[in-house]
Amino acid sequence: MKIVKLKKENLFPFLESLSKEADLWAPVQKYENKHSFQLIKDFSQIDLKYTRTILPPKKLFLPPTFNMFLATEQGYEEDFSHVTKKILFGIHPCDIHGLLILDRFFQHVFDDPYYSKARQNTLILGHSCWPDENCMCKSTNTHIIEEGYDLFFSELETAYLVWIGSSEGDDCIRIKPGIFDEDITDEDIQIYIKWHNERDKAFQVDINFIAMPDLMELKYENPLWEKLGDACLACGSCSNVCPTCNCYNVLDKPLLNKYASEIGRCWDACTLESYSEVAGGENFREKRAQRLKLWYTHKLQAYISKYGKPACVGCGRCASTCPVDINVQTVAKALEGKDMDTFWNRLSKEVTK
Amino acid sequence: MNGENKCINQTNPYLPEAARIVRTYPLTEDVKYFQVRLVDMEKAISFKYSPGQFAMISVLGAGEAPFSISSTPSRPSLLEFCIRKAGTVTNAIFKLKENDHIGIRGPYGNGFPIESMHGKDIIIVMGGLGAAPLRSVLLYCLDNRDLFGRVALLHGAKRPAEMIFREEFFALKERKDLECYLTVDADDTGKWKENIGVVTTLFPQLKDINPSKTFAIVCGPPVMYKFVLKELIKLNIPKNQILMTLERRMKCGVGKCGHCAIDYIYTCIDGPVFTYWDVIHMKELI
Amino acid sequence: MKKDKLKIGIYELTGCAGCALLILDCENELVDIFQAADIQSFLMAKSDNIDGELDIALVEGSVSTEKDIEELMDIRKRAEIVVAIGLCSMVGGIQGRFCDEKEWKENFKKVYGDIEMTHTKPVQSKPIDAYIKVDYYLPGCPIGKEQFLNFFTRMLRGNPPERYPQPVCVECKYNENDCLLKKGILCLGPLTSGGCGAICINHNLPCVGCWGPVEGGNWISEYYLLKEKGFDDELIKNKMANFSGTKIAEVSEQLRK
Repeated sequence: MKIVKLKKENLFPFLESLSKEADLWAPVQKYENKHSFQLIKDFSQIDLKYTRTILPPKKLFLPPTFNMFLATEQGYEEDFSHVTKKILFGIHPCDIHGLLILDRFFQHVFDDPYYSKARQNTLILGHSCWPDENCMCKSTNTHIIEEGYDLFFSELETAYLVWIGSSEGDDCIRIKPGIFDEDITDEDIQIYIKWHNERDKAFQVDINFIAMPDLMELKYENPLWEKLGDACLACGSCSNVCPTCNCYNVLDKPLLNKYASEIGRCWDACTLESYSEVAGGENFREKRAQRLKLWYTHKLQAYISKYGKPACVGCGRCASTCPVDINVQTVAKALEGKDMDTFWNRLSKEVTK
Repeated sequence: MNGENKCINQTNPYLPEAARIVRTYPLTEDVKYFQVRLVDMEKAISFKYSPGQFAMISVLGAGEAPFSISSTPSRPSLLEFCIRKAGTVTNAIFKLKENDHIGIRGPYGNGFPIESMHGKDIIIVMGGLGAAPLRSVLLYCLDNRDLFGRVALLHGAKRPAEMIFREEFFALKERKDLECYLTVDADDTGKWKENIGVVTTLFPQLKDINPSKTFAIVCGPPVMYKFVLKELIKLNIPKNQILMTLERRMKCGVGKCGHCAIDYIYTCIDGPVFTYWDVIHMKELI
Repeated sequence: MKKDKLKIGIYELTGCAGCALLILDCENELVDIFQAADIQSFLMAKSDNIDGELDIALVEGSVSTEKDIEELMDIRKRAEIVVAIGLCSMVGGIQGRFCDEKEWKENFKKVYGDIEMTHTKPVQSKPIDAYIKVDYYLPGCPIGKEQFLNFFTRMLRGNPPERYPQPVCVECKYNENDCLLKKGILCLGPLTSGGCGAICINHNLPCVGCWGPVEGGNWISEYYLLKEKGFDDELIKNKMANFSGTKIAEVSEQLRK
């Protein structure tokens, strides 16, 4: 793989020349210490010191709500208006892994054109990161990235080491060839290795994901799930913020002024009560505990059994989002039989609904 | 057991094709028969499916839902569906008449493992609306009679009036190369000449089963499975030669929307046909 | 499949009339609405109202007087389909929060004294399904424009409204808001019917629950969570009761356990 160097002061001029061709999206501080990928109009908004955004980058490829078709009596018109040329800058390794999992999912057997077209039209420019107390990516082995990006920027003190991951990435640096330096010194390499080692030590969470499929299987009937169900607010937020959650619902929205419908699509979450409702009103996952089991079967068991790695990329969004502390960390610990009570002891013991 | 993309619209699997209702008539009080043909002749011919697969049907303004295909691919270009009035989409379909248009996309799902069934004896056990998906495989076996060994049909309904495809199955009784047994739970007409009792009461009619070379196919209401499976196990039919087809809510049919998941199995692409052995391992079904 | 225009009546019982006003506020669509359906009765919009047979009756407001009861019974007799629109009609509204009869009487006396009502006799406020069978519910306080138009158009085409009960949190996350509950602010998002677009939280204000309780809300867990965050027991219960109408009865039953 080819690696070049870019002086820090040249980053924005480089992005500026790139964003003439496409919309630039990058992390922006939306609330105190809470970030969001936003369309960049002013480069000073970009905040690369972020840890994670509230919503994962999936929102750029499949927005929370969008229309798939306009259906009329004459037929169907495809609506790809959410697909625009984009550059996603500043995405961290965990989120790139998230996209790779979504790729596999949305292109498995049938290709989802609403996802794939948006994906093909987006350049992925990754950026190195530093973990906080919720980052689990070292445990999921998604703290480093070897594929899935066009360029990846590793931040050193005064410059970036830029990994070129695709031919499109290579084309990008040719737009302003003068500002990239092909000569990487021994000193640069030493700084990079030191940074890497220090970052490795900075992770505070250690979860044995490889043990999770077995634990899920062995503890499927464990009363732990009822306890989780008692605490769960069934708000669906864990799914909405998860970079690998893909479920959606389809809505037929009829137009008043002509005999036609917009066929819309919106994010759905298996933790919501309405998710498993069928025609006639029956619900085959009426209990919150059943729905949580499904969610965690998908995150901690299914993908590991199939592909040897979890469908969780360790981004920590569930941990920083769930108001009642049900997240991959706490559930994994509980499955390991640790701290079973500490997370949910706010609930009075006699609650059993 | 993953399906492959044989969908009529290769570039966008969500895109329905216009289809015309050629014939429709009531089968029972709440089940209607629909025969449809894709408007585009080329697409009508290239709509290649196997028994056990399903299609998504949409009605403008009402939405979309999955339905198993009741016709057999051995009689191409026309598709048949048996639809029970259950929700918004089916209610809207019920209001449609001949020559009205619907949207169709598919075929989806794995379908029955027809090739591994070649040369084997086939027992088809259906109850109520279970006849909708199993009629496809039954007719397929009959149209390709040389490819299969014995073929037996056990079909049960609550009352004579609720037996879908009643006349068709009675006509099949005339065939010498099919063992066709019909039953109703109760006869309120006084004219029923066949067996009376639940579908399992037909099992004594099956003589000299060679279990290792037999495939059993089951579809019916949930209560039926427990008892029918017990009978099949009694006959020593291997668990991976007992096939069943499952129904779930679906929004996409192509393994993306997640609604048909049972554990981490997606009914729409990993199914809807599963062996009894597969089903034993689905924790959410137990 | 063309048949006669659907005969629709829009009625207001006791409430703020906000839901009826919202329908009137669909300015761009109003002509289409009146063209597509035969609006037989809509007191806020026109004077030539007819009280005849109806295909669909939309009923706003709670039942709070004997006159309301009479009117509602009459509507049910005349209409094929009755739809409860808005919080008051669905759960009784703010005026329905005193669900204990004794408590209601005391409060009534506190506000009105011993005054004799001549026009009609007041009764304890209740949702309309306390008196009649309701076919569909359209939540909101007031109802949302988009949901109303979607609902209205589906009904015109002979399809039942799409049922999609979700808490406010869903749209709140769609909008990438920071969770207020997580920050220790008393927000009722997880317990409240969505559809409002999480408009309050978009403006950094907590959800007060005005669209009414969402199906399957976990009141107990949120109650204990708020307690843990240091909120006073009375305050939490009051906030939860504000827009929950008679539904709060079953919730307090749960909390008492």
